[in-house]
Amino acid sequence: MAKRLLKDMAYARSGDKGDVCNIGLLAFDEAKYRVIRREVTPERVKQHFRGMVKGDVVIYSVPNLNALEVVLHKALEGGATRTLRFDQTGKSMATALLRMEVEADD
Amino acid sequence: MKKVRLGSGSAYWGDILEPAIELAEKGNVDYIGFDHLAELTMSILQRMKTKDPTKGYIQDIVPFMEKLLPIAARNRIKLITNAGGANPLAAAEEVVKIARALGLKGFKIGVVTGDDIMHRLDEITAKGIVLRNMDTGEEDIGRIRDRIVAANAYIGADSIVDALKAGADIVITGRASDNALYVGPLMYEFGWKFAGGYWDKIGAAVTVGHIIECAECCTGGMSNMWREAPELWRIGFPIAEVDENGDAVITKVPGSGGLVNQWTIKEHLVYEVHDPSNYLMPDGVADFTSLSIEEAGRDVVKVTNMKGKPRPDMLKVQIGYKEGFIGEGMVILPWPDAYAKAKQAEEIVRGRLKLIGVQPEELRFDYVGVNALHGPVAPEPDYEMNEVGLRVAARCRTYEEAEKARREVTHLWTLAGLGSSFGSPMPVRQVIALWPTLVPREEIQTGFVIKEVD
Repeated sequence: MAKRLLKDMAYARSGDKGDVCNIGLLAFDEAKYRVIRREVTPERVKQHFRGMVKGDVVIYSVPNLNALEVVLHKALEGGATRTLRFDQTGKSMATALLRMEVEADD
Repeated sequence: MKKVRLGSGSAYWGDILEPAIELAEKGNVDYIGFDHLAELTMSILQRMKTKDPTKGYIQDIVPFMEKLLPIAARNRIKLITNAGGANPLAAAEEVVKIARALGLKGFKIGVVTGDDIMHRLDEITAKGIVLRNMDTGEEDIGRIRDRIVAANAYIGADSIVDALKAGADIVITGRASDNALYVGPLMYEFGWKFAGGYWDKIGAAVTVGHIIECAECCTGGMSNMWREAPELWRIGFPIAEVDENGDAVITKVPGSGGLVNQWTIKEHLVYEVHDPSNYLMPDGVADFTSLSIEEAGRDVVKVTNMKGKPRPDMLKVQIGYKEGFIGEGMVILPWPDAYAKAKQAEEIVRGRLKLIGVQPEELRFDYVGVNALHGPVAPEPDYEMNEVGLRVAARCRTYEEAEKARREVTHLWTLAGLGSSFGSPMPVRQVIALWPTLVPREEIQTGFVIKEVD
């Protein structure tokens, strides 16, 4: 087992709907998808974004794309139109998730 | 087998025009869709319309159509646009003038209305329909009633299809969902209906619409492929070639900049989606968990086996309401001790606001170069930084308070540490907060009219 950053295992893109931010996480291949699906849990994502994401974290699997859909509630300080965040629409949240460290198989 | 080629000509209000012209000239497309509306846009446009009843649409429609109508007419391309915003009829008047000036006699402009329910909110709540806030769970819309500036339903493709059947060369809508701009032409061309037996086809149309609706965002813009995508300054916008079985090929004009590969398609498929097996759109519910994506050549990606389910009984309505003002500003502090000087600058602003008695409802400090984007997820720097920006943003109840808060940032020019640099001041802006809710479909009646150029 070795520690790896998600950045070295997956691509990601994030966006907003109101105060909900979603991050699509695309594993580079099926083996990395298995690791990510095991390691990237709602609890760990919530912990990773502590102080930023105030609501629930929900994660959906998209196995045909080797992808996860990570949905962060109350994540954008009220949503794009009222937030004081510089990144009003949560576009940079994907890169913040890619900082997360996971236990890889190799 | 019949195939329809759809191009995507705009992703947002203010998008670049050249790729849309390229699509019309060289894309061999049958339709081009143009999305200009974001969640905030309808409130801005509604306020423009309040000030001037002949405005309230996306004024980009004028330069866009001046360039595109002659090419579209020559190449027999139909255009579908939601640039109508809060005033599709006024937008249509502008397009009539442009078409007339170009001598396009007999040119037909379809105008879709019915999404604007601003003046029906009380009637709807009087029926006992609770307009629950989908973000917060709050049910008492009465709390914000007198501050509401816009209420628009995300409408589907029904009236776009009807306008095309009536011979429209261009269809102008208000808050049609971005997606419906693409679902409409496919349903019209293939004769698909909102009925059993068609839901997988409509699911495919919703999926294809989702892939291309943000234009450059599936051809290498905003992308993980930023390093691989060549010549982004002349990026090609996407083309979806859809067949009557509901399979699609995504590509772009050969020789244009940007990139179409499995990753540019996948990264957009997962963009702004919650449950990927239930992607809810007014025209149908797409399931992204069955489809296959396959690279089939340079800048060519096949998308097959798309599935769908019946359209939802409820439509999403976005209500915008006034909620105070934001004042903001930024200074940049240089080496040496840039970060320490920025932290001192924060203390100065806090002290000044206290001294002059301004109490923002919310006050935020970002350290640009440290944590402005990743917030607490970003580690503290363990090296001497070249420069650090201090961004200050304050949300206040009144314009006057926000203006005072904004001015305090400008004072950092002279109060903050050595080398403090202030660029240009930013104006105070009004906050429009959003109240997303659901309304039964039967409450939203859409329709269309045709204007013919004489």
